[in-house]
Amino acid sequence: MPTQVVANGVIAASAYALIGVSFALIYRVARFFHIAHGVIFTAGAYCVFLCQVFLGLPLAVCIPLAAFSCASFGAVTELMLFAPLRRRGASPAILLLASLGTYVVMQNLISLLFGNDMKALRVGPPTEGVPILGARVTPVQLATLCTALLLVLAVAGVLRCTDTGRAVRAVADDAELAKAAGVDSDRVILWTFAVASALVGVAGVLVAMDVGMTPTMGLAALRMGVGAALGGGVGSVGGVALGALVLGMAQHLGAWKTAAQWQDTIAFGLLLLFLLVRPQGVLGRPLRKVTV
Amino acid sequence: MEYLLHILILIGIYVIAGVSLNLVCGYTGLLSIAHAAFYGVGAYAAALLGLRFHTPFAVSLAAGIVSAMILGVIVGAPSLRLHEDYFVIATFGFQVITYSVMNNWVSFTGGPLGLPGIPQPVVFGMRISSHWGFLALTWALAALVFVFARTLVRSPFGRVLRAVREDEVLAQSLGKDVARQKMTIFVVGAGLAAIAGCIYAWYITFIDPTSFTVQESIFMLAIVILGGPGNLWGSVLGAVFLVSVPEMLRFVGMPSSIAANMRQILYGLALVLLMMFRPQGLIGEYELRGK
Repeated sequence: MPTQVVANGVIAASAYALIGVSFALIYRVARFFHIAHGVIFTAGAYCVFLCQVFLGLPLAVCIPLAAFSCASFGAVTELMLFAPLRRRGASPAILLLASLGTYVVMQNLISLLFGNDMKALRVGPPTEGVPILGARVTPVQLATLCTALLLVLAVAGVLRCTDTGRAVRAVADDAELAKAAGVDSDRVILWTFAVASALVGVAGVLVAMDVGMTPTMGLAALRMGVGAALGGGVGSVGGVALGALVLGMAQHLGAWKTAAQWQDTIAFGLLLLFLLVRPQGVLGRPLRKVTV
Repeated sequence: MEYLLHILILIGIYVIAGVSLNLVCGYTGLLSIAHAAFYGVGAYAAALLGLRFHTPFAVSLAAGIVSAMILGVIVGAPSLRLHEDYFVIATFGFQVITYSVMNNWVSFTGGPLGLPGIPQPVVFGMRISSHWGFLALTWALAALVFVFARTLVRSPFGRVLRAVREDEVLAQSLGKDVARQKMTIFVVGAGLAAIAGCIYAWYITFIDPTSFTVQESIFMLAIVILGGPGNLWGSVLGAVFLVSVPEMLRFVGMPSSIAANMRQILYGLALVLLMMFRPQGLIGEYELRGK
């Protein structure tokens, strides 16, 4: 099979891995499907757009600014919406719906502010791409791959090797018990939201630099991230990365073999297959509440 | 006057959709975001049969209901085994796949261009073509669906549904075939949603995939939650509210370019505020509360 397809699959997978890992972080710690995570992805890209086009700032300044903004968005929604709901004993369904509502509001705000047309970020003159093993990879794509790899490894490293990571894992396991052991669960959750939102915002920037951006791109991206997370196993960063690889490859192989418009169906069909056959994912531990 | 009738017809359509989703979500506790898919299948069935074979009204309606129920089985069989969040994600997946099929199977569904010129139904020998005619048809069907739902809910079956909603494991331990009840209500809900879809197809005489997206599912969910999960009159209220309030925005002088987005923002805000301050909606009996 042509190396270009493989290359595209891997590059797509790197973005999905970043989205999936950040999503899984929130899911493990706060225990609900944070659908608004998808719009933070979009917000990251549009923040850079705002900084670049309206403030005229260089890319190197825009991107950290965007990451910081996304972290803030995430933290604010946790502080003002999810934390109070959690304190009142809200079920995951309520949190999901609140997150869904947030997604709808934010996505439409972006549409109102920036318009629904596809926008692009200025990254420099369009290049032909660097030839690698017979495939052409643009500098942006290379940056996506490297950045995603680095960030995912960093997350894995922090989770496994640092005290903070241990605290996060404790809260993920059992927030009440962690509190009893002296961990400030609420603060851990807040910081997890901030970091995860920053990560997914960066993913949004990377994808936008590669293929442009629309206000609704977040949902499709989230689908892939969730697919990677569920398919590979929410509890393991490596699992999510593996899931992302499978999904990215399946998507691009499928598009190459059949027709491009079915790639979403194939990808989502795969996700559903994962859910049915092995809801805990390939590398995940069985989750308590999956089947009756 | 025509405009008012138009609003009332839309409300009627969404009452049917809302009631059908309420059965699944409000009474049984199954949070499904796939409902627009069933609604859409009903619409496409009515449209395709009407366009290709000029089938009578009753046949098209029945075909729409059956098609949606079949899809309900396809979606339900794998998804209902999953708990809570995973069920939602699974229904989301099926919604996306259904939309994708509608949009990409161009030879069958017309793809993104949709199906124009859907013939209007002939009921008891009369062709329904005026607003008054559709008003009568819509609300007659809405009344039928409402009565059917109410009978269902007041029956022993309805009690089991509520038991499933409150505590699935307990219901099962008392000997109720929980899996079968969930599948039954899911499929019934799908079939009822198809009725709304058929009316929509006949009324607008044109359908395309963009009417049956995830946003539409979210809209139906908002109707159920706003009106009150677990209360059928709540779905009526919810439909009235969520259909008419955005229309009122028109008169506030909002430019049409931003009206669509503002409408969505309204739904999103409604969802968030409801979750924060009133999870039982306006007159619901169920609060989607945690275990």
